[in-house]
Amino acid sequence: MTTHAPSAPPRRRGAYRPPAPIGGRGPLRHSPRHRLTVVAFLTPAIVILTVFVAWPMVSALRLSFTDASGFGREKFVGLENYARVFTDPDIVSAMGNTALYALLFTPIAIALALAFALLLNNPLLPLRGLFRTALFTPFIVSLAVAAFAWSYLLDPQIGLLNYWLRGLGIQLGNVLQDPTLAMPAVVLVAVWKSFGFYMVIFLAGLQDIPTSLYEAARVDGASAWQRFRSITFPMLGNTMGFVVIVALIAALQAFDQIYVMTGGGPYGTTQTIVMEIYQSGFRKLELGFASALSYVLLLITLVLSLTQFLFFSRREKDAA
Amino acid sequence: MMKRSLSVLATVGAAALLLAGCSGSSGTASDGPAEITFWHGYTEADGKVLDQIVADFNASQQKYKITTETKTWAVIDDTLLPALSSKEGPQIVAMPAERMPVYADRGAFADLSDFYASSDSNTADLVPQAVDMIKVGGTPYGVPTGFVPLAMFYNKALFASAGITEAPTTWDAWVADAKKLTVDENGDGTPEQYGVAIPDHATVANGLWPSLLLSGGGQIVDGDKAVIDSPENAKTIQYWTDAITKDKISPTGLDGIAADQLFSSGKAAMHVGGPWMASIAKDNNIDYGIAAIPAGPAEQAASAIGVAMGVTESADDAQRAGAEAFFTYFFQKDVATQWSLASGWPPLRTDIPLSDVSSNPVVAALSEIAPTGRALLPGVVNGTDVISDIDELTQKSVAGGDVTELLSTAQSKIQQAIE
Repeated sequence: MTTHAPSAPPRRRGAYRPPAPIGGRGPLRHSPRHRLTVVAFLTPAIVILTVFVAWPMVSALRLSFTDASGFGREKFVGLENYARVFTDPDIVSAMGNTALYALLFTPIAIALALAFALLLNNPLLPLRGLFRTALFTPFIVSLAVAAFAWSYLLDPQIGLLNYWLRGLGIQLGNVLQDPTLAMPAVVLVAVWKSFGFYMVIFLAGLQDIPTSLYEAARVDGASAWQRFRSITFPMLGNTMGFVVIVALIAALQAFDQIYVMTGGGPYGTTQTIVMEIYQSGFRKLELGFASALSYVLLLITLVLSLTQFLFFSRREKDAA
Repeated sequence: MMKRSLSVLATVGAAALLLAGCSGSSGTASDGPAEITFWHGYTEADGKVLDQIVADFNASQQKYKITTETKTWAVIDDTLLPALSSKEGPQIVAMPAERMPVYADRGAFADLSDFYASSDSNTADLVPQAVDMIKVGGTPYGVPTGFVPLAMFYNKALFASAGITEAPTTWDAWVADAKKLTVDENGDGTPEQYGVAIPDHATVANGLWPSLLLSGGGQIVDGDKAVIDSPENAKTIQYWTDAITKDKISPTGLDGIAADQLFSSGKAAMHVGGPWMASIAKDNNIDYGIAAIPAGPAEQAASAIGVAMGVTESADDAQRAGAEAFFTYFFQKDVATQWSLASGWPPLRTDIPLSDVSSNPVVAALSEIAPTGRALLPGVVNGTDVISDIDELTQKSVAGGDVTELLSTAQSKIQQAIE
């Protein structure tokens, strides 16, 4: 009796090959010429990244331990700047404002984006393309321009929104100078501006879900809510993870819109960490302190992003 | 092949080095005139005249050549730090005078004590308050290009329709007139026309509330001590808070720009501002008058707006000498008069008579009230922090806060800012 090993499928040029496992296919041997070509192509990118990203980051780290102002001599001050970050009442207040901004912005933007993505993913909806474009358009408008436009709309004297509401007997007042309403107002404008972007990402995620799953669920008599809970939501895990991290980072870095709309006011109620970095660096000329504050923000962002990444990775693993 | 690859690498490396090397500064040529760059934010007719004065200076001698670069004031403030720290900065820069002390304190500007000490510098007759604005610890770090007290601009047509013939001269008359000029046609509690636009934060050059505090007999800082928490200031803040919130003579929550817009749109009869309000009013067809800010119980005083120019630390000896030569030229009596007439600001020299600037009615009107001008926070390095504390005080007061508590908070915050 002879045993026959299964014959290998004929190899064709361009035939399908499974994707490489994470970690690569193993060492490949290339000629020195090939290696040099690779290095030559990579060098411009490496030079640019080194000059414009890595070097400024290293410089900022060094500055964060000094009393640098940008001119004259610098003095090494150790961890003084970092200690000040957590003891200066204005900075602590700005951290609280940033957290509030992120807590308001991230869930509202994501919920709205997901809701509209589900709605606009329905092939039966007429003018889907038009709606998608309309909702995405605010994202491509410059944030500063959008902020200016909204500032004028909300102006208590000449604002169109106030004018219309007055016609309906509603006195909106000076929203952007109201210590209670200013933060919700800037958050809502940020949500209006950016949820279209997250919606497009959700739409891409939704289109990756096999329709056969929905068909099977329908055959089993699953309701729309059950289909969403058991198919759509779990299958959007990766997309959701990405969107949450991106939205959170955007929220932690809120600056230009707030700078234009409220300037951090009224009396600091919309002052964020990036606003403080700007004011410390460019208004008070305390570059060392601004650098320390930047690094603290970087660390906060890193920790939050990693936590979410791990959460969504585990969720995906459990689902698998 | 190896050679070719190496040559590719070498080319890339050379390009990178070239990019890095692009940051060389202009410096001074070994022969020919010393090249000097001058940043300023005069963007209107005043900018053209300043550029002309620089051109005339260049033509008047062969040793220095100044090239002007016009940027807005905000751009200068935002770009000066990166420019100077990368050795790309200008050698002369004009900027709002209240911002100069913080740059000077951090080492961005050259000490001009020797220049002022020189009898040839044409600085002996400069308005002393204008020079005080750019001193830190008694050391001058710049020279003024403008100094003007805030003034009251009023809408003559609205005054006439309310039967008011003259601008008010005291606080009580001011509030009384403002009440007459406040009109709530439909009775919904939001006037369609306000008597006056009083911003409660981010005012023009941050000077309106300091002006009121001065007129009421109070101060913000005295030397190295915060003195905001005084009975005089409490009275002043309460007086104007009541006028704004109870008499509703002005909207609340206004900033300086919104106040400008309210006046220029004819929705406010009176406004406190600087010389630029003349052109804004004219552009909006508002027949305006100019008067001094009405006197308070203590005195008639107004915080002044200043612009100054200094020599940056990036200037070498020749460039610094050129900058000082330009300042001397700029302060010649005829050039100073030419500059005043063109810029619309009162003369910087005290020995230029009013008759010399009477051909420009705005300059004439502002020059008449020039003695009311007081430098805002002279020598205070962290003036930005002090002003934001004042903003917080006035905003919270107008929003219904307790004045005594607010002043006490402001006192400790301002003291901390100036230490």
